[in-house]
Amino acid sequence: MQIQRGSVIEVARGKRTVRRIPGQGLLDGMAVVWKHWQGSFRKNVSFSEIHGTFTMEYPEEYPKLPEAYRNMPILLYDEETGHELCTSCFQCERICPPQVIHMTQAKDPATGKAVPAVAEFVIEYDACMSCGFCAEVCPFDAIKMDHDFELSTADHQGLTVFKEQLNRPISYYERIAPTMWTEVRDGALKKLQGNIKRRPDVIGMAPNLAEKIAARRRELAAAAAAAPATPPPAAPAAPPTEARKLTPEEKAAKLAAIKAANAAKQAGETLPAAAPAPPADEKAARLAAIRANNAARQAGEAPAAAAPAEPTPATPADEKAARLAAIRANNAARQAGEAPAAAAPAAAAPPATAAEAAAEAAPVDEKAARLAAIRAKNAARKAAEQQGE
Amino acid sequence: MPRLSPEELRERMARDLPGAVLEAAPLQVTAPPAHGPQPGAFLTTDTLVAPAHLVAAALYLRDTLGYAFLSDIAVVDYLADGLFELVYRFYTLDGGDALVLKLRVPRDQPAVPSLTPHWPGANFHEREAFDLFGITFVGHPYLRRIYMWDEFEGWPMRKDFPKQGDKYIGADE
Amino acid sequence: MLKTEELQINIGPQHPSTHGVFRMLVTVDGETITDLKPVFGYLHRNHEQIAEQNTYLQNMPYTDRLDYFNSMANNHAYAMAVERLAGIEVPERAEYIRVLMVELTRILNHAGALGFLINDMGMWQTQLAFGMREREKILDLFESASGARLMCNYFRFGGVARDLPPDFLPRLKDLLIALPSFVDELERLLRENEILLQRSEGIGVLPRELALAYSVTGPVLRGSGVPYDVRKAEPYSVYDRFDFDVPVGTVGDVYDRFLVRVEEMRQSKRIIEQILEQLPDASGGHINPKARQNVRPPVGDTYARVESPKGELGFYLVSDGSGKPYRYKVRAPSFINLTPLGDMCRGYKVADVVVILGSIDIVMGEVDR
Repeated sequence: MQIQRGSVIEVARGKRTVRRIPGQGLLDGMAVVWKHWQGSFRKNVSFSEIHGTFTMEYPEEYPKLPEAYRNMPILLYDEETGHELCTSCFQCERICPPQVIHMTQAKDPATGKAVPAVAEFVIEYDACMSCGFCAEVCPFDAIKMDHDFELSTADHQGLTVFKEQLNRPISYYERIAPTMWTEVRDGALKKLQGNIKRRPDVIGMAPNLAEKIAARRRELAAAAAAAPATPPPAAPAAPPTEARKLTPEEKAAKLAAIKAANAAKQAGETLPAAAPAPPADEKAARLAAIRANNAARQAGEAPAAAAPAEPTPATPADEKAARLAAIRANNAARQAGEAPAAAAPAAAAPPATAAEAAAEAAPVDEKAARLAAIRAKNAARKAAEQQGE
Repeated sequence: MPRLSPEELRERMARDLPGAVLEAAPLQVTAPPAHGPQPGAFLTTDTLVAPAHLVAAALYLRDTLGYAFLSDIAVVDYLADGLFELVYRFYTLDGGDALVLKLRVPRDQPAVPSLTPHWPGANFHEREAFDLFGITFVGHPYLRRIYMWDEFEGWPMRKDFPKQGDKYIGADE
Repeated sequence: MLKTEELQINIGPQHPSTHGVFRMLVTVDGETITDLKPVFGYLHRNHEQIAEQNTYLQNMPYTDRLDYFNSMANNHAYAMAVERLAGIEVPERAEYIRVLMVELTRILNHAGALGFLINDMGMWQTQLAFGMREREKILDLFESASGARLMCNYFRFGGVARDLPPDFLPRLKDLLIALPSFVDELERLLRENEILLQRSEGIGVLPRELALAYSVTGPVLRGSGVPYDVRKAEPYSVYDRFDFDVPVGTVGDVYDRFLVRVEEMRQSKRIIEQILEQLPDASGGHINPKARQNVRPPVGDTYARVESPKGELGFYLVSDGSGKPYRYKVRAPSFINLTPLGDMCRGYKVADVVVILGSIDIVMGEVDR
């Protein structure tokens, strides 16, 4: 067979040298090993040498990872505005080879229309194959590959990762991959600014940035107050003009709220007593959690219903908001309730916070309800975490 | 040894092995969609041989043309056309592209003469085809499942093998 | 003459020296092998069926997992197959980067494979550790370019995922300084080592005719004296621009396969040096900007093959015009190279089986698919 640009070479077999001592080949080999042993006492960091120690004392010493290193996907948010870069365009969900990315798009609670923001984002880290396609395909540079490789856990459920755990500030990504971020920075931030304009209220803000959310809300309120010059400023400042007639539903809701609040109080009282009996205790705790949360929801709703100063009858919108809040609060409560032993404090904590939140945010009732829900959820999670420890 | 194009191969085989070469009918591959762009039919340029003449054709390639290296046997399940196509790929040691023999058998009676007695290298290819597609190779000395366990039922690479809910996976997964 | 009786034993499926979950059904007469049948499928995941449910691009990371030692070579074969099917052009620079990565892969595969072979001979980890050291250096380079050490997923249709990072070439040049001394040292350690000679000379002989009939490829085929290398026989990518030799053995035993691999590392280094000379002049970027990644190739079929470090790796693809391959078939070199294992082992002792298996250099991820 003819070969272009090169030749066929037969490898030379057998002994090349004449042996004087039997076993010289072995001794030659031992010399190599000896040289390596000698070299093993010094550190070698150069690629051009083959002697010396290349290993690393891992937990004390960390490898310097290259920028392109990819381990698991994370979601970025902008710390300045508090907004997440993700717009839930579903590109990553579609391209993901093992199909482990799931998301839902945020909806404007007032209009029900889709908003360029993500409501929930879940990645199953346990099945993720770290291919990096999601980061490559993302048109908003919202999803990036993390450098953190110490993900081992004894808890399999913990590898289903939700948005709160996925969120990382841009500065974090800038630190691990400076040049890669510089390349996309301007485009990403420009797109983000465009998206913020289309996001009503605090939708699309990283949920862990509570102060940011509060600030944004104040800002929005101020803007709302400044824009229409003629009507009296914001709801809280507005003097009650006339007592709005309560609809039967609102009346019923108010009644339910009171009842639930009482029930919650009772439950809170009876709980410690029930503590010794574990199964009953768990059930009772969960029940208490649900009741307490209902109470919290009602508490959120009640000021709304009671607020007669509403300039417009905002019933449908705030009813929806309240329902959303209720669902969220319930979920939070369930989470809390599922951590059995801690159920009592966990259940007690969220409604308290929620009620507090609702009370202080009463003026803008719809927002208040939502905030209450978020806080309740956070509090419940915190309680559950404490329990976990 | 000159390198042959598929056309030359067909010509020479038609001359030397009468009856072995068949006219390739176009395949529709998948059932065409009711609307939208039609994908079009697949008309192969490779040589299609009659199953009964496979061994003779392969030996002709090896002994007369010098394409002694059987590289690959691939099976394709054309469900919409109701047939299996086997793609045999022969190379010559002088280098260059492959000569391809294609073979079509009906899906309900997939029996093909085995090449293993002549090419021991066809052994695992044919066992794989048997295991995943259920093609019977007549004359194979050891035709057993190669990947799946012996008790496994069904042919997992066939297009009509259930993707979900078979007795091994269970309906809920 | 002692009266002997044949005995069937199972070697495997769980033993470190069997390179994965692999069982050999061995019939022995005393210590002598009279028959051997490889049994596998323990790692079978119906890779081809999975691939037919995925889009073309989604399959790229799955090909990494075939032969997990050489993900770059697998990527290359698959990318070539899809590019042929969809008619995508690859810029020159991308081709050079691809070949560079694949040749580095060949070095790291052989460094590892020789280490495992020596390990199988009972010399424990000395050579394996030396081989792994060079392998780790190359993996560091892969990591800086592609982001991952093993599952690189670096190739895209029409090029590679991203250009080489700025520190890549200086580090590669450093590595090229170290490589010859590594190979020389390997030879000094082992080439004339009496134990290695006794364990490998005349063991597992696969004669030339049998090797051809069994359609083995790669170093196993070349060890049997057939100068068949896909890079020369059907030059793909830019392999026709490099000078390199094809090493062949003369006897076809384990020792020849060992020597062929050692020499192939030298030839790969030669190719990389030529790439470094030609890469700055290469035109085009790292990827064809017109190449769409969500390809929908026209109806048709294609076969693309590359010389993976283990042999001829081919992908047979049939497209039905949609975004998913209608048929995706892998021609896995490790799988076919296992076919003659029974013939190679017949007549040798039980202790030789593992050495012969090690000299074939299989990866179960590719065998079982």
